[in-house]
Amino acid sequence: MTTTAPALIATPRPPVASTRELIMPAMLALIWILFAVLSPQFLSPRNLSMLMIELSVTATLAVGVLLVLLPGHTDLSVGAGAGLMGGTAAVLVNQHNWSAPAALLLSFVVGLALYAGVGWFIVRNRIQAFIATLGGLLTFKGVFWLVIQSHTVPVTRDGRDNLYSLLTTYYLTPTAGWLLAAAVVALLIFLQSRARARRRAIGARVEDFELAYLKTFIAAQGVALVVLVCNQFRGVPLSFVILCAVAASVHSLTRHTPFGRHLYAIGGNEEAAVISGVPVGKTVILAFTILGGIVAITGFMQTAYIGNSTTTVGDLMELDAIAACVIGGTSLKGGRGSVLGALFGALIMASLLNGMTLLAVSPELKFIVRGLVLAFAVWTDVRFGKK
Amino acid sequence: MGRNRSPLLRLLSNLRNQRNLRMNLLLEARHLTKSFPGVMALRDVSFDLRPGEIHALCGENGAGKSTLIKTLSGIHPFGSYEGEIHVDGTRAEFRSLRDAEAAGIAVIYQELALVEEMSVAENIFLGAERRRGPWVDWDRAYADAATLLAKFRIELDPDTPVRELGVGQKQLVEIVKALGKQSRILILDEPTAALAESEVAILLRILRELRAAGVGCIYISHKLGEVRSIADRITVLRDGASITTLSAGEADIPSIIRHMVGREIKDLFPRNAGSRKSEAGSRSDPLLAVRNLSVSPNADSAPRLHDLSFKVAAGEVLGLGGLMGAGRSELLQHLFGAWGVRQDGEVTLGGGDYPEPTPRESIRRGLVLVTEDRKRLGLHLEQPIGFNLSLSSLDRLNPGLFLDETAEAPANQRFFDALRIKAPGLETTVGGLSGGNQQKVVLGKALMTEPKVVFLDEPTRGIDVGAKLEVYHLINELTSQGKAVVLVSSELPELMGLSDRIVMLHEGRISGEFTHERFNQEALLAAAMGNKNAFAP
Repeated sequence: MTTTAPALIATPRPPVASTRELIMPAMLALIWILFAVLSPQFLSPRNLSMLMIELSVTATLAVGVLLVLLPGHTDLSVGAGAGLMGGTAAVLVNQHNWSAPAALLLSFVVGLALYAGVGWFIVRNRIQAFIATLGGLLTFKGVFWLVIQSHTVPVTRDGRDNLYSLLTTYYLTPTAGWLLAAAVVALLIFLQSRARARRRAIGARVEDFELAYLKTFIAAQGVALVVLVCNQFRGVPLSFVILCAVAASVHSLTRHTPFGRHLYAIGGNEEAAVISGVPVGKTVILAFTILGGIVAITGFMQTAYIGNSTTTVGDLMELDAIAACVIGGTSLKGGRGSVLGALFGALIMASLLNGMTLLAVSPELKFIVRGLVLAFAVWTDVRFGKK
Repeated sequence: MGRNRSPLLRLLSNLRNQRNLRMNLLLEARHLTKSFPGVMALRDVSFDLRPGEIHALCGENGAGKSTLIKTLSGIHPFGSYEGEIHVDGTRAEFRSLRDAEAAGIAVIYQELALVEEMSVAENIFLGAERRRGPWVDWDRAYADAATLLAKFRIELDPDTPVRELGVGQKQLVEIVKALGKQSRILILDEPTAALAESEVAILLRILRELRAAGVGCIYISHKLGEVRSIADRITVLRDGASITTLSAGEADIPSIIRHMVGREIKDLFPRNAGSRKSEAGSRSDPLLAVRNLSVSPNADSAPRLHDLSFKVAAGEVLGLGGLMGAGRSELLQHLFGAWGVRQDGEVTLGGGDYPEPTPRESIRRGLVLVTEDRKRLGLHLEQPIGFNLSLSSLDRLNPGLFLDETAEAPANQRFFDALRIKAPGLETTVGGLSGGNQQKVVLGKALMTEPKVVFLDEPTRGIDVGAKLEVYHLINELTSQGKAVVLVSSELPELMGLSDRIVMLHEGRISGEFTHERFNQEALLAAAMGNKNAFAP
């Protein structure tokens, strides 16, 4: 009697076709090569550091929006929300003499509460998220302008640096950067070996040791490369560390918790999810709540990056975030998408913007190029994504 | 060849040709072979259809019936298969469904293709709109629709929105739609799977009328009794090959089944008397008790279920019978917490009061529902088998914040093996499985929650004989473990073969309750029709 090898353990993976998985990285490579050829500064440590900070803002928001795209909802209000939360903190610091940590904390909590309310409103009244959050966009924008009185409010008081302004201007010292890299690599190795031990304990197939070793080694190389490049300029940007923390949290939420499973289940087939006992309402409200926190963090970073809260902070950020998710393979119908994909999509969007700015491309052309890239990504998704 | 023939022979041969012309085949498939990567879906299948004939296709799921239909109707385009297709004696090269439709072939699928928001008439002429110049001629469309409906004695108002129709009525609209396109070849894929007996009768009557009018039908069904009564010829497919073609007269059900499965199925309903616990069950405390239950669809609408009372004990199978629309599925869904507003009555589950059910709470208390519509309500088709199996049990398997792979993976593997799901592994996407295997995944998901009461709504609908048998065995296993099963089935023999007791519903009320000794097809049918007094005890 022949025994078949035990099947792989079911870790839900979005079904992304390999053709598509190859096209988008090829596209990123193409974009980078193009910019590197056209502008020698593109690959300079200084510009790469700038790119990382810009990426941090877009990508953090994209990862947050992913949480509501997975269950088949959407959120158009995140740009206005980011402006509002950043503006609230700026006003508290600059005009009410609050300490930066207290102001950030309060705005963060406001973000959680606002978006929990939006989620509750959508779930309770069965309103389409598109419309509900379109209302949110307009409302938040108006409230935002009221809060800052349509003025320009600096994130500092009397020009002294504080936690708020440091969000995008602080860089880890080279030593701290290396220590952090070492910690990250150690954590990767720990998680990897623990997962292997668990799989072995239940008799499941374990990846070849050499392959696993190679993968970890490459990941470690990547981490080291990032730190090396950053240290040639000012060090690892704090905002990039924030992005990594947010992305890692959302990644483990979506991949390794029942909550994450429920998000995919609701997006894939909501009726079947209900019958399966998935707490649909609670899950969606929680997703919006977490998004609220991430919107606040994004707002802080974006406002700090500009230096002041002005009426245009957050404009069109929701579209960049949704575009990043879609480029990264997220389905707007829900049920498909991943944090890695969203990060990747954000990297494409941020690289395009950064490179074109470097080349002094006109704003008109910038919009057109980004729009075409988004259309191309959706086209490849339709053309190659499904079998 | 005919060069040195005598004039007489030539005359005879001409006569024969003319007869052949008159006997012309509507549709002929010659030596069709179609393969997908790794699978031979059709091996050298030949098949033909005469005018005014109903030709049934039988076979287990995966036998190649769907592939054959898709090839005949242009969904698998010309060039993607070997062999030839002839329509009216001329060779056809369909590159799309539209080509096939133009040649007079219409396919009516299991999953209906009607637009819910449109009226009956709009649906009938969808894609073939009645026009006057660039505008749609609505007057003519509605008049033509009314004529068509009247011709088949279907009592439907062409103005009715399709969403207000029952499944059976929708099926009839589909057929009228196909005939509105002047189709001469109808392909029906499991047309009666969702119909109650009375609706089946209407459908079969219409098919007979079409046959008399010279339309040819290819008829696919798992219901062999029905196939025998309607078909002129029966072709059995197994493993992609045409096993045999029988004339309806020479085919009896056991021999059809023998050809389909390639083995003998002695006992279709393996529930043996020794395992019946209905007497013991009625003595012990019921796991589920319903008293005077009335339920309406919404808070402010009239009740759809009236004054229902029944009990189910451990180790017992309670059958729920009735026509489509009698309220069987609604009853199960309401008790589970997925439908309706309770107006009156009490429900106790496992001895405790259960006034406000939700699916989540039901599962926590040990009640699961396997719905009849597995694609819509049962499965996440884009996700792997493992994702689906454990979806209802995540809370139980993962007490902490994070998923515990060491608990989940073995549980998934256990049900995958126990239910003999035929797939490469737990990573396989559910959408690509056959109906029977998909049903096993739904059952596995329900059973992994470790339920005490299991609701099965049409658990064998649209699955093949072999898989049905496995479901029957599974029901036996559940009752022998002391679980209570409530079974809804539209097939009376199945209901009678598996249940210990049967409660019949008619228009939302109980129209008869039968213990096993009193099972009798006529009495059950009478109760289903609402004739409570005629046969009910």
